Amino acid sequence: MKKRVKLTFPQQLIKEPVIFTMAKEFSIMPNIRRAKVTETVGEMVLELEGAEADLDKGIKYLKEQGIIVELAEGDVVE
Amino acid sequence: MGFTKALKCRECSREYPVEPIYVCEFCFGPLEAVYDYDGIKKVLTRETIAARPRTLWRYKELLPIAGEPQVGLDSGFSPLIKADNLARILGVKELYIKDDTVMHPTLSFKDRVVSVALTKAKEFGFDTVACASTGNLAHSVSALGARSGLKRFVFIPASLEQSKITASVVYEPNLIAVDGNYDDVNRLCSEIANKHRWAFVNINIRPFYAEGSKTMGFEILDQLGWQAPDHVVVPCASGSLLTKVWKSFKEAHKIGLINDLHTKVYAAQATGCSPIAAAIKSGADVIRPVKPDTIAKSLAIGNPADGYYATAVVRETGGYGEHVSDAEIIHAIKLLAATEGIFAETAGGVTLAAAKRLIEAGKIDKNGSTVICITGNGLKTQEALAGHTGEVHHIKPNLASFEDVLAKIGR
Repeated sequence: MKKRVKLTFPQQLIKEPVIFTMAKEFSIMPNIRRAKVTETVGEMVLELEGAEADLDKGIKYLKEQGIIVELAEGDVVE
Repeated sequence: MGFTKALKCRECSREYPVEPIYVCEFCFGPLEAVYDYDGIKKVLTRETIAARPRTLWRYKELLPIAGEPQVGLDSGFSPLIKADNLARILGVKELYIKDDTVMHPTLSFKDRVVSVALTKAKEFGFDTVACASTGNLAHSVSALGARSGLKRFVFIPASLEQSKITASVVYEPNLIAVDGNYDDVNRLCSEIANKHRWAFVNINIRPFYAEGSKTMGFEILDQLGWQAPDHVVVPCASGSLLTKVWKSFKEAHKIGLINDLHTKVYAAQATGCSPIAAAIKSGADVIRPVKPDTIAKSLAIGNPADGYYATAVVRETGGYGEHVSDAEIIHAIKLLAATEGIFAETAGGVTLAAAKRLIEAGKIDKNGSTVICITGNGLKTQEALAGHTGEVHHIKPNLASFEDVLAKIGR
């Protein structure tokens, strides 16, 4: 299955290969659609493809690293 | 026949046909309705508008529908009140309140967006509409969907206050309370929207739904005699309303309804959920998502879909952003009620309190004209005022007891 997510990286993680590590560790194929990096923060919108259980583990891993993982379309509860 | 030409990606400008889609397949950017303004200019004038009923549909050519309006035929055209009492207290010359506390039928600006969304849903042939909401949106979809004969699925967090549940369930939608936190409800609703072919008003119908917010802007201009105000203060949750108020001003200028456009747009948020105002104040161009913690629950969107675009509008117009504490929100709700007789929900308190700060800081010019957008009714969030309202004078059922109180009050 596929999931569209928006990642917000804190400054200290901008230089770390966390996406590569997640992809390798949990057999997830990331496809980066948009990205923006400033001096203080990084933002990336991407599609993740893999087995549902792997995606859940991969997203959990990203969160554990300190990355904010959100729905790409923003919050839908208004 | 409508004037909507296409849907266009806000990020990469790719165009798509007018369908119930909301995100660009290439860059995942949000899609937005674009119009044939030359065609609209020929048919929509101040005179044609003035001859129409006073509802949000009097600007229908600038809304993304193909046929005639079908939902919310009695909605819109809320009062624009010249707030002289409040102006005196804030020390400004010309102040107006755009008062959506009295919007038909569910007392918030959401009736604007839902009227457009449900009309579009009917045009697309959907028989079921849905939304995920903690309040105003649920009320509006439940009510307007009932009158228009649509099946309704309304998703709410199970922890929602009973008063807000009642104000939805009375219209007999399928009300689904999700036993989880805000993030869980978000995730689940996104998955349901992808699986079921329903008109999810703020997901797959979002490009059309969001355009309904422009009617607030058109009405402000219309009610000011087709003059743009110098300043407009708009509350921000997803940021969509702010971007659409500005879009409405630009469209009115483009087709010649107004001759001059110089308005500065200001974003108002609660300190407990201020990703947009914080980005504006710090000059950042990336919105950092937050975990909301504020009494202004109708503005508590931690990951705002249109946050970036709202900050861009504020910068483009030379406006600013401000966020305010819960105590300031309560003070502002009471101030608006005591000066202008308008009882706003917590979001209204946010907007007025932010406007007050912006005026005091000199960001809003005291000699200009300012419009403050009040988006919902205070009867919906009465619990926020518990313990903060004025004293009730209790008396015995006799004249002497009343005279004692009268002496105490000092009249």
